[in-house]
Amino acid sequence: MLATHVKRLIKIFTSLRLTVILLAFAIVLVFIGTLAQVDEGLYNAQARYFRQWIIFGLDLFGHKIPLVLPGGYLIGTLLLLNLLAAHIYRFQLSAKKIGIQITHAGVILLLVGQLVTDMLARETQMRFVEGETKAYSESPRNYELVFTTEDGTNGEQVISIPDKLLARGGEIQNPNLPFTVRVKNYWKNSDTPQFRAPMMQNSPPLATNGVAVNFDFHPIAETKTMDDKNVPTAEIEIVSPSGSPSDWVVSDWTGDGAMIEALQQSYAQQLGADMTQKIIGDLTQPQFIFADGKQFTFGLRPERIYHPFSLTLLKATHTIYPGTDIPKDFRSRVRLQNPQSGENREVEISMNHPLRYAGLTFYQYQMTAGEAAQQAGVTPSSVLQVVRNPSWLTPYIGCALVAAGLVTQFMFHLVGFISKRKTK
Amino acid sequence: MRPFSSFAIFLAALVLAGCKREDVKVYHVPQNDSTAPPEQIAATDQSLATPPHLQWTLPDGWQEIAPSQMRVASFTVTNAAGQTADVGVIPLPATGQEIQLVNMWREQMQLPALPNATTAVAVAIGGDSAKLFDIASDAPIIDGKFRARILVAMLARGETSWFFKMTGEDSFVVSQKQNFLQFLKSVSFGENAPAQIAAAPAAPGESGPSIWTVPTGWQAVDPGAMLLAKFLISSGEAKADVNISSFANDGGGLLANVNRWRGQLGLPQVSDTDLPALATAVDSPGGKIQIVDLSGTDAKTGKPARLVGAVVPQDGQTWFYKLMGDEAVVARQKDAFIQFIQSANYANARNAR
Repeated sequence: MLATHVKRLIKIFTSLRLTVILLAFAIVLVFIGTLAQVDEGLYNAQARYFRQWIIFGLDLFGHKIPLVLPGGYLIGTLLLLNLLAAHIYRFQLSAKKIGIQITHAGVILLLVGQLVTDMLARETQMRFVEGETKAYSESPRNYELVFTTEDGTNGEQVISIPDKLLARGGEIQNPNLPFTVRVKNYWKNSDTPQFRAPMMQNSPPLATNGVAVNFDFHPIAETKTMDDKNVPTAEIEIVSPSGSPSDWVVSDWTGDGAMIEALQQSYAQQLGADMTQKIIGDLTQPQFIFADGKQFTFGLRPERIYHPFSLTLLKATHTIYPGTDIPKDFRSRVRLQNPQSGENREVEISMNHPLRYAGLTFYQYQMTAGEAAQQAGVTPSSVLQVVRNPSWLTPYIGCALVAAGLVTQFMFHLVGFISKRKTK
Repeated sequence: MRPFSSFAIFLAALVLAGCKREDVKVYHVPQNDSTAPPEQIAATDQSLATPPHLQWTLPDGWQEIAPSQMRVASFTVTNAAGQTADVGVIPLPATGQEIQLVNMWREQMQLPALPNATTAVAVAIGGDSAKLFDIASDAPIIDGKFRARILVAMLARGETSWFFKMTGEDSFVVSQKQNFLQFLKSVSFGENAPAQIAAAPAAPGESGPSIWTVPTGWQAVDPGAMLLAKFLISSGEAKADVNISSFANDGGGLLANVNRWRGQLGLPQVSDTDLPALATAVDSPGGKIQIVDLSGTDAKTGKPARLVGAVVPQDGQTWFYKLMGDEAVVARQKDAFIQFIQSANYANARNAR
């Protein structure tokens, strides 16, 4: 019984028919993904259609279509298995076929490489102001609710709750937290916080502790474009084991330096320096609670990945072609320090010259320097894109193999043809 | 269909293999570089308009935190059980109407207002004698479960009244009362302390081009901490004053402010549906102005009074104008008041700072 199933499976997996069917589905999927991207944005469309095994129902231009389709993962995996099975099943070590074998190997490597990239690749960003040192990079799209507390050694313990857990709502517990976190609301994007004018009869505050006492937060629609970012806010309740809950609002608005600076400038124009300082002080005041004899400071911030080394931005340079507005060069001079390996050196990262270190690649991504920074009255800053992609070489090797295989096969035929002609 | 079933079994196995879960992560960070507030905000070189040099001794369990609006100092009090209370030091212009504030706190505790502030006990703040009000709610107003309590000590120093206020859950505040009294005794106003409040933006008319054309007979007076400008109009014994303030966004909205003004005249509150009958829209170069004209009894003085209030939305801000006082004076000044508002050049307000 098992043998018949296995035989049938082998027959299916080595068939060319399967390849054609899968490629057809792939075309349909790419088409759907392209259409969906218009409304949902690039990342959402990718996640919904390509990073799935099976797609239940499509949502295009406001219409829900009840279709079940294979997702990107399924098509990719089956194509890979199809290719491997055919390759193994029909393997013949002969000189004539060697070109084809190499080509197949190249395509397999490409597929496998892309699968590994999807599973393991991670892009984060490091933003610094000149003179700032950072030992971590931040996710551009994922957020975390962190609780930090001193843990006795020279440093802090960080308990991080990812935004996907928060979005699910409900209660979150962890052995390292002597209280339960109850998520009442999680908004993926929220509007500029509004100052609650004193002694005015506003509606009751969102929460009775911390920043919510002085500021109101409102949810707004998620932004789907690649240029804007979502600023999440959450209403949470912290319930101590004795049962008394305290309600709070946590928001990325209170920690983002650039946005706060913009708010500060806008308030300063309207209310003057003194009131502005008080208002901004309110907004950025750290929120914390005491439990189990320890102080837990908490907040909502972009997800951080800590590295065993640190980078310091020494100088951010933005040069343009003289007499024009055309950018010529974006260059960041950084100091790399690694306490474990004892490294301490200066490196320059510029367009087309990334830094490759510790399995990561640092690209020059954005910069505010030179005249632009001077005019805005801000310190020059630079943003590096930090990419971790262990399989970054596979596309190069894969394509090289495919090319080599095709050339070999072609040469065989060519040489054979020429020799035949000669003997005639 | 047979091959298909084999295929289906295979697929099922594959799908189960690929589920990623999101989990809570716990890790250690060596240096203290997490949650550092952005450097741009530090701005401590931008000193406030000389806040008084207060000094104190903090009891156990009290921790100073960044002061919020209107305050010069803020503290949070906690105990091992995780209960918290909030303490603030708030200077306000001495109005001689402390009963107003006491009733405001009573309102926060959902208690009825008092005609005069008799429930005060003498207490020492530094070397001075002050009044202590102890107000506890009857109903459980914290989360519907706990009663709340406010302890306020009020000290008049020249032109400023200083309020030291502790708010929190009833039993916790009671347990902290001794600490609070000790704290009050330890407070000292430094020698250089000007008896002055950290100023809100200076009345725009004083620095740079004036915003309004001020009618004759209006006397500009010190606006204090919460107003942008203030004028006094007197006709013999009868007086009226004009208060001008501005807040971000809608400053609470028209209804809330109309009800606030109605409260000042001892009038009952109204709802949204009554509003159109009360408010008239008047044109002005800056946009439409909503004007209300109310008559009642001044809650502070007990005399009949009339109030003309205006709400002017302007570019992300809302400006509030209030002409209030003796009925005859207000009646005579109403037109001048409206012209005054219409004369506003808000561009000058923005440039004043």
